[in-house]
This record gives sequence, C-alpha cells and structure tokens, in this order.
Amino acid sequence: MKSFEYGDREIGTTEVVYGVSNMVIGFGVLTLPRSLAAMTESSDGWISLMIGGGAALVFGWLIALLCARFPKMGLSDMTKAVANGAVANVVAMLFACYTFLFVGYETRGLANISKLYLFDRTPEEAICLFFLLVLAYGVAGPSAALLRLNLIFLPLVLIIVFLVLTMNITFFNMHNLKPLFVTDWQDTLKATKGTVFSFLGFEIFLFYNAWANRPKAMKKAILGGLAIPLFIYLIVFVFVIGIFGSEVTKNTLYPTAELAKQVEIPGGFFERFESIFFTIWVVTLFNTAAMAFDVTIIALRTLFPKPKRMTWVIWLCPLIYLVSMQPQSVTEIDTFGEWISYAGLAIGWCLPAVLLGVAKMRRIKGNEQAS
Amino acid sequence: MSESASDDKRGESYVFPDMQENIGHIRRMLGDPADLVIRIISIGGGERSCALAFLSGLSDKAVIDEQIVRQILKAGRFGQEDTGMDISEVLGGLRNETMSVSQVLEVNLWSDVIKAVLYGDTAMFLEGADDVLLIGTQNWKERSIDEPPTEALVRGPREGFTEKIETNIGLIRRGIRDMNLRFVSYTIGRRSRKTLILTYIQGIIHPAIVEEARRRLDTIDIDDAPESGFIEQWIEDSFLSPFPQLLHTERPDKVRAALLQGKAAVMLEGTPFALILPTTFVALIQSPEDYYERWLIGSLIRLLRYLAVIIALFAPAIYIALVSFHQGMIPFKLAFSIAAAREGVPFPAIIEAMVMEGTLELLREAGVRLPKPIGQTIGIVGGLVIGEAAVQAGVVSPIMVIIVAVTAISSFAIPSYSAGIAFRMLRFATMLAAGILGLFGIILTFIMISTHLVRLRSFGMPYSAPFAPMFITDWRDLVIRSPVTFLTKRPEFIQTKNINRANKRGKRS
Repeated sequence: MKSFEYGDREIGTTEVVYGVSNMVIGFGVLTLPRSLAAMTESSDGWISLMIGGGAALVFGWLIALLCARFPKMGLSDMTKAVANGAVANVVAMLFACYTFLFVGYETRGLANISKLYLFDRTPEEAICLFFLLVLAYGVAGPSAALLRLNLIFLPLVLIIVFLVLTMNITFFNMHNLKPLFVTDWQDTLKATKGTVFSFLGFEIFLFYNAWANRPKAMKKAILGGLAIPLFIYLIVFVFVIGIFGSEVTKNTLYPTAELAKQVEIPGGFFERFESIFFTIWVVTLFNTAAMAFDVTIIALRTLFPKPKRMTWVIWLCPLIYLVSMQPQSVTEIDTFGEWISYAGLAIGWCLPAVLLGVAKMRRIKGNEQAS
Repeated sequence: MSESASDDKRGESYVFPDMQENIGHIRRMLGDPADLVIRIISIGGGERSCALAFLSGLSDKAVIDEQIVRQILKAGRFGQEDTGMDISEVLGGLRNETMSVSQVLEVNLWSDVIKAVLYGDTAMFLEGADDVLLIGTQNWKERSIDEPPTEALVRGPREGFTEKIETNIGLIRRGIRDMNLRFVSYTIGRRSRKTLILTYIQGIIHPAIVEEARRRLDTIDIDDAPESGFIEQWIEDSFLSPFPQLLHTERPDKVRAALLQGKAAVMLEGTPFALILPTTFVALIQSPEDYYERWLIGSLIRLLRYLAVIIALFAPAIYIALVSFHQGMIPFKLAFSIAAAREGVPFPAIIEAMVMEGTLELLREAGVRLPKPIGQTIGIVGGLVIGEAAVQAGVVSPIMVIIVAVTAISSFAIPSYSAGIAFRMLRFATMLAAGILGLFGIILTFIMISTHLVRLRSFGMPYSAPFAPMFITDWRDLVIRSPVTFLTKRPEFIQTKNINRANKRGKRS
C-alpha cells in the first residue's frame, strides 16, 4: 500500500481471491449437478464434490507454494529457473494452446446456453461474434484491470445464486436427499472426475503471479478463492437434489438454470427468472474467458516478445471464433470441454506440481535467480 | 517571473527616463485605445511632474482619485527640484510616504508595466526616473455570492463561487483556517493571462497527486482558457471516455470537503466552476447533502441515486429487450396491456424508443437555450402536448412515454450534470445493443462499461475505487453513508498522509 502505483501493474490479495473464484465458477455450476446425479445415487454426489474439491485444494496449495517460491515470476520464468529456456518455451506454448482452446470452448458454451435461455432465432454464430468483440475489448486493456473486474462481477454472481436458492427454499424437500451413503466407492470416484474438472481454471494465476504484490499471501488467497466455488457447488448441488430429486436432475440439461426457472418473483413483477439468472451469469463467463484469453496473450508474448498486445488480440480473435465454431452439437461441445479439461489437468495442475518437486530437489529459489 | 510571449521582443526593453517618451511608448504599444487614461500631474504643485496611466474600465477610479492623485497633489516636499534629493529618492518617497494604497511595486521593465496596466493597475511615470511605480488599483464589478443555480441543495450553505478568483480563494480559506492550506498559482493563457490556482492541504494530500497535477498544469499552453472546462479537457486522463474525470462544482463546501479528504482543486479566474481531482465514479453520485442530512436519510437518498443511475442507463434498453426479444418474461396481464398499447404502433420498439429519447434530448437542449419564462412553456408543450399527441397519433405507445419520462427524471437526479449527460449518452448505446441482442446485448454493454470504468484512472487514481480495487474501510461512506461518528478515517484509497479526521470519543480523550 505504500506505493502510489497500485493502479497499473500490481495485483492485491483480494484480487487473487476473487479472480480464482470467478475463474473456477463458470459452466461448472450449471452442469455439475446433472453429471453428479447421473453417476451417484441419491444425494451422495457431495462426497465426490468434497473429494474433487480436496484435490483442487491440494493442487491449489502446490501452485501457491510454487508462486511463493518464485515471487514476481510468471510460469515461463519459473520453468526457466528450474529447467532451461527451451523447456520454458514448450511449457508456455502448451499453456497458451490450453487457454486458447479454453476461450474457444467457453465462447461456444456461452452461445449455446444463450440460445437455449435467451434467444429463439438469433444464430449462435452471431452470439459468439458479439461476445468475442466484447472479449477483445476487455483483453485490450491491462491485465490488472481485468483482475479488478472480478471485484465487481463476482458479488453480482454470488448475489444471484443466493437469490435463486433462497427463493426456492419453499420447494426444498428433505426426503429427496435421503438415503445417504448408498453409492459404492467406485462410482463415487468416477464421479469425482467431473468435479475435479469443474475446479479447473485457477492455474492461470501461475502467470499472474508476476504481478502479485504479496507472494507470501498467495497460499491463503488461492485456497480462499477455491473455497468459495466449493461452497457454491455443494450448496447448489444439495438444493438441486433436494428440489428436483435425483431422477429429474439426471435428465435435465442445466439443472441450476431450471432452479432459476422455478423462481416466482413476489408480485409477479416479471416472469422467467432464468433469463435474468443467465444474463447475470454471462458476466462470470465473460470474466473467465477474458482472463484465459489474457493469459494466452501473456504466454505468447513470453515466446514472441515483439508483437504488441493489440496485434495478438486482433490475430487471435478470428482463430478463437473458428475454434469455437468447430463442435457441431451439444455432445461435441461436451467432448471438446472434456479434452480441454484433461489438458488443463496435465498442464495446469500436474506440471506445476512436477516443477515444484524439481525445484525442491534442486533447491532452486526465485529470489536468487531473479537477482 | 513574467512569462512574456517569446515572439515579443519588446519584453526586454526598459523604461525611459523621459516621461513624454514613456507616454508615447505606452500609447503606441497598446494602440492608443480609447480606455487608456493618461493623467499628468505636477507633484504638490511644484516643478516636478509625473504621469499616471491606467485603463479606465479595469481600475478603481475612486482609489485613483482619492488615494493617488490627491495624495500626489499634497506631496509638496517632493515637488521641488532644489531639495537635494536625487530622483530615485523622490520615487521612493512617493512610494513610501505618499501613496495610501497597500500594493505598490517598483519595476523598470516595459513588459511588467504593460502587463500590470492590462490587469487594471496604475503605472506612475516620474519625470527623469528609471523606474516606474505600479499601483494596485484593480477593480472589477463582481456579482454577489449567490446560491449556485446548477447545484441547489435543500439543506446546506447558500454560497457559491463567483468569477473572481480572490473571492473564491477567500471562500475556501474561510472554511478551512489551516496554515497548511496551499494555493499554488499559475498564469494560464498566452494572451489571456488568467490566474489559475491549484489548492490542496499539505500534510493530508498524497504528494504524488500534487506532483502529477502540477506536471499536467505546466503543460498547458493555449491562447486563452475561457472556462475551467478547457483546463479539465487539457489535463484529463482519457479524452475518449464518456465519464468526467474531474468533478466540477460551484459549491465551496464541496471543494472544502474534497480538500479535507485529501484531494486537490483547481480554480480558474473568470469562472465559478472549480475542478476537483482526482475524481472517482462514486463521487459523481454523491452530493454534499448526503452528509448534511441525518445518516439514514443520507443513505437512502444515496441509494436512490444509484437506482437512478441504473434506470437512466438501462430502463429503455430493458423495455426494448423485453418487448422485442423476451416477451415471455413479461407477466401475462402486463404483456396483454403492452400488446394492446402497441397495437397501432407501426415501428419496432427500438425505433420507437430512439425517436422518443431523441425528442427528449431535443426538449432538454431547447429548454436550456430558451429564456427562462419560455423555457417552461417548452417543457409543457414538449412534455405534455407532444407526448399526448404522439400517443394519440399512434406513433409511440403510452408505456414508452412512461419509460422515457422516468428515465429523464432519473438522469436529472444525478448530482453531477456532466455525469448525467454521460449516462444519457451511454443509454443510447444500451438501447442499440438491446435492439440487436436483447438482454444479452444489455449485459454485454454493462460488461464493457464496467471494463472501461475499471481501466479508467484519474490522476493515477483508479476511477472505480473503492469498489475495485477494494478498500473495505471506505465502504462505510460509499453506498451507505454511515453515521458521522463512524466516519473517523479519511478515504483510504487516496492514501492520505494524515488518516484520522475525527475522534469518535470526542475531545476529552
């Protein structure tokens, strides 16, 4: 707080907490209850959620350790310090590809749901295009501003989620939750895969670490940021099962949005609350996509420092558009998402863990390397 | 000290010892204007004589007659040539013993003389002397300190700035009797040479803000700055932004409050509008009255204004989105009445809204331009007659008229006039987006506006503070205005050098 320059190139702990939550909360909340209900019996999905969340917390902790070990360094610099420049370039390239595809997936997914809940006739192509234009505008500015945007958007998202939940409280039926602990452990573990996927995203803070002004607080910030989505997932899952029951949930495409559909505004001021719910939801999807896009550019710029940020934005946008238009159906979008999740797991979680291990073995620390 | 224009060679020349030559020179330089008065007097009726030169419209005749001419006529002992005093002693004597005017300067550069005469001072040329006396006789008809018409309050001081900078400085000093109050003066305008004052409280403000403000003010180089709007546009951070990055106000109490918060203010001669810097988004929505009323009232009124911002930005857009994209969201009964009302309307909602909002902006503009008594007529003709007739003719639906009216009222509830215009401008963008993409378009414009606000800075200060970056302690005076006893700290985001502004436990502890 001493420096006057908190405007430009610094990210505080609050920004990291909000950023991590906002990055993680995305489609997960909308689809997770369905995939969990499909694989587990009754309300036992929460066990999988806890395990998935636990795994995310462990990896979050590892990533935070890595960040704290190399203060003021992005992933490429970390890799360079631990291994060498060539490996760092490969890692940056992989990461850029991952986040790039992620933006494409996110854009397409958003268009898909918008089509379902907001539009009848407007084609997905147009929705994607406009979203991408706004995305380009968002990414054109400094990264710190994007992270700061989380501070405005996350509260909106949390408010709308809690609004939906509290307004549904009358439909909540405890009997739907019973019986407990009926799923066998193999199914529980299988379901965990999906829950782990829904915690992906926060690994991009490996790059933002370069601007974190308090690397020591990274651990608390990332874990705190992960706790918020874990809590949201749990409470939403319990509500969805409690209201619809396991059977209905299994067969609903976006159970959380259906939850919003049930909401009746007192006084009948307007109907179809799910439209409002989804409109607000766009905000967090935008932020997730924008941060991923931003990290793509940051990673690419470590590889090719010459082109300006704007040049990258202009070149990448059409490519993202092409990528997002590739899947032809909802199933294909899901498969696409799944592959990206595998990539994220490998590049975003396992790789930093390995990096941390090597750094520990070789006793490499950031500060000596930086000086 | 004098920043004479570089292309002005005369600036280097000195005053002549010969009085007649001086008189000729000053006449020539100013082009022998009609308002230049030259008065030649013999000192105390003796052999020595001197000449007074001043511009009649800018100088105080009474002071010149009573305090200068009369005194010189009485100063007999300086009038004789055989008293043994040399000429500079005579000049010194005249200056120190004769003139009963508080402000007298002795100079010998023509540039200084001309500048002073153009400001309304009187130059006195003494026959044979190398120097000239500049006597402070500036006087300008000034209007009285009135309540500012653009920022009226129900409760609060009824004083506003005037066009005279000295008065304005006085108004600020009268409220903050602190020796650390600073007034840094600049001369703005190559030709207009107006005084500009940067004011702040040393020891509260962060030095970097002052430094940045001074750096930017130093870059100003224009012929004339007729209004502080010129200064604002010259030193603002982003000229592309629709949002005002410096807050302008006519209220001294607002400026004083800002100074005590650790901000700075810029005042320009010739305009009652002072600029407050740095400014944040929330400052546009706050009004001094929030603090003068009790905290519950203040908080509620402030909340109402946030609501007004949302309505001003999004109400017509939401109407367009609902009517043309999401009819299902409108409750059953209302949908029927809207459909019935729109029955004969030949245009899509977006055209309808654009036409009405455009008309409203026209009415507003016309109302400002017209003289006051006719202005009200325009309001009635425009508001009632056009609205009613448009509905009757089936060009717009009655609901559209309601929405337009509510939006207009909301946009005028925003205390900062230029912020109100900014919101009205953005409203057209949201309407267009809603016309293309419905609710999705509205949320996209919301995202863009938020992104822009988060990026925008005012003198190095994030415009969206204390929302983002977040300063929780500042939230007690943000959406809610906490009780005065809770507001013990200055805003954290400005990083003031002195943190406490009140002690909750009172004076005793």
